[in-house]
Amino acid sequence: MTDCYKILVVDDEPDLEPLVLQRMRRHIRANEYEFVFASDGVEALEKLNADPTIDMVLSDINMPKMDGLTLLQQLPGVDPNLRAVIVSAYGDMDNIRTAMNRGAFDFVTKPIDFDDLKITIARTLEHLAEWREALSSRDQLVALQNELSIASQLQQSILPDIPPVTHGCEVSANMEPARNVGGDFYDYLHMDGYVGLVVADVSDKGIPASMFMMSSRTALKGAAIGLREPEMVLAEVNNQLQQDNPTFMFVTLVYALFNPDSGLLTYSSAGHDPPLLIKSDGAVTELPHTKGVALGIASDVEYTQESVTLAPGDTVVLFTDGVTEAMNADNQQFGLDRLIELFKNQPPESAAAANAAVFECVRAFAGDAPQSDDITCLALRRR
Amino acid sequence: MRFNHERSGDTLVVSASGRVDGSNASDFLDSLQGLFDPGDQRIILDLGGLEYISSAGLRVLLMAAQNLDKQQKSFSICSLTEAVGDVFRISGFDQIINVFPSVEDAKQG
Repeated sequence: MTDCYKILVVDDEPDLEPLVLQRMRRHIRANEYEFVFASDGVEALEKLNADPTIDMVLSDINMPKMDGLTLLQQLPGVDPNLRAVIVSAYGDMDNIRTAMNRGAFDFVTKPIDFDDLKITIARTLEHLAEWREALSSRDQLVALQNELSIASQLQQSILPDIPPVTHGCEVSANMEPARNVGGDFYDYLHMDGYVGLVVADVSDKGIPASMFMMSSRTALKGAAIGLREPEMVLAEVNNQLQQDNPTFMFVTLVYALFNPDSGLLTYSSAGHDPPLLIKSDGAVTELPHTKGVALGIASDVEYTQESVTLAPGDTVVLFTDGVTEAMNADNQQFGLDRLIELFKNQPPESAAAANAAVFECVRAFAGDAPQSDDITCLALRRR
Repeated sequence: MRFNHERSGDTLVVSASGRVDGSNASDFLDSLQGLFDPGDQRIILDLGGLEYISSAGLRVLLMAAQNLDKQQKSFSICSLTEAVGDVFRISGFDQIINVFPSVEDAKQG
């Protein structure tokens, strides 16, 4: 990023301005970010109208004169390409739901964790850059290939760069895109001492699928901040996505919530393979299936969840069907059994090692056969 | 991907075989819907010969099912192989599309 991005921070709390300037001073000095401030929605709109170079908005919800949710509603009228990140209280589902409906791109929770905020800002701006590039090349699209390359950039832009750093666990993830098909993503969420993990697969490819991926990711993060239980999170995301989905796109995913203190992992799957559990003694099992339909296509469907307690040294692996359905030159599928066999009596020494082993093994199996689907794998190991 | 079809009264049975993935999903939908007659009230898709279906394939099946549902026609699939059955079960599609063990069961259903 060579351009300096301008970020409007909207909050009625006067202490926030010096805090942001202090905590973001390196980015400001390096000319990466410039911050402007407003104390309510009305002042924010005035600043946005006066300064078309503002790229993103970071807004609190409760403010005098005009609150953050009303401001969100006004943003597309000012500039449809602005991206907004909402600061919300943990568990404030009503406001989060409204913010999602009004097009918030992402969420951070109060009290603001500046490491998390830095990651969120970087990701929002990275997405914005890809989005602008997509818009500028949209008119020049002559071949599907172009569209797919833009879609793949958008897909890359929503993947988190840095895994969560927590005392009780380590996480490692990777997504290897197929040439022509793009629909996988993963995400890490930091919430109130918990670590949320997502591995997902969107049904289609191209720019519409990237947009759907974006909505899925935002809806999931919002729901995860607002609701604790994974099964409730998935039901909420499903309701969000299926409200306006005329093309029947859908996403299958596993969402897992890990408590680093107790080792308890609770997960729920929406039409996705359940995670694999590798015990520290080398026993490998597929965790129980939970009940749930792929997200976005059916109203009022039920999701269930399961829990497992990880002992130190235990690893869980979340993956997409790009792993199990990888084909070799003889048209054989990699399959779940090979994945189980890979770790049987050979527990990984770290999350990164587990992840690397999966990709190496799939690559060795597939040989020269073309990769027909995205391959995504995420490993969490309890320390 | 190949299709055969057989019509008796207002019931159309379509047998599909081969693979449905992102590369041919929209052709699959067009070919399938091209077989429908306005008089068909019940469409049964026999997937006994289907080796593989990807999520893009599931999506076009859902589109076909919803189109027929809008016209108040019945749509069901049957005779899934183990591998294809797993895809329907894991994705939860067996909860939103009628699945039967055989063509006969689908006709009864």
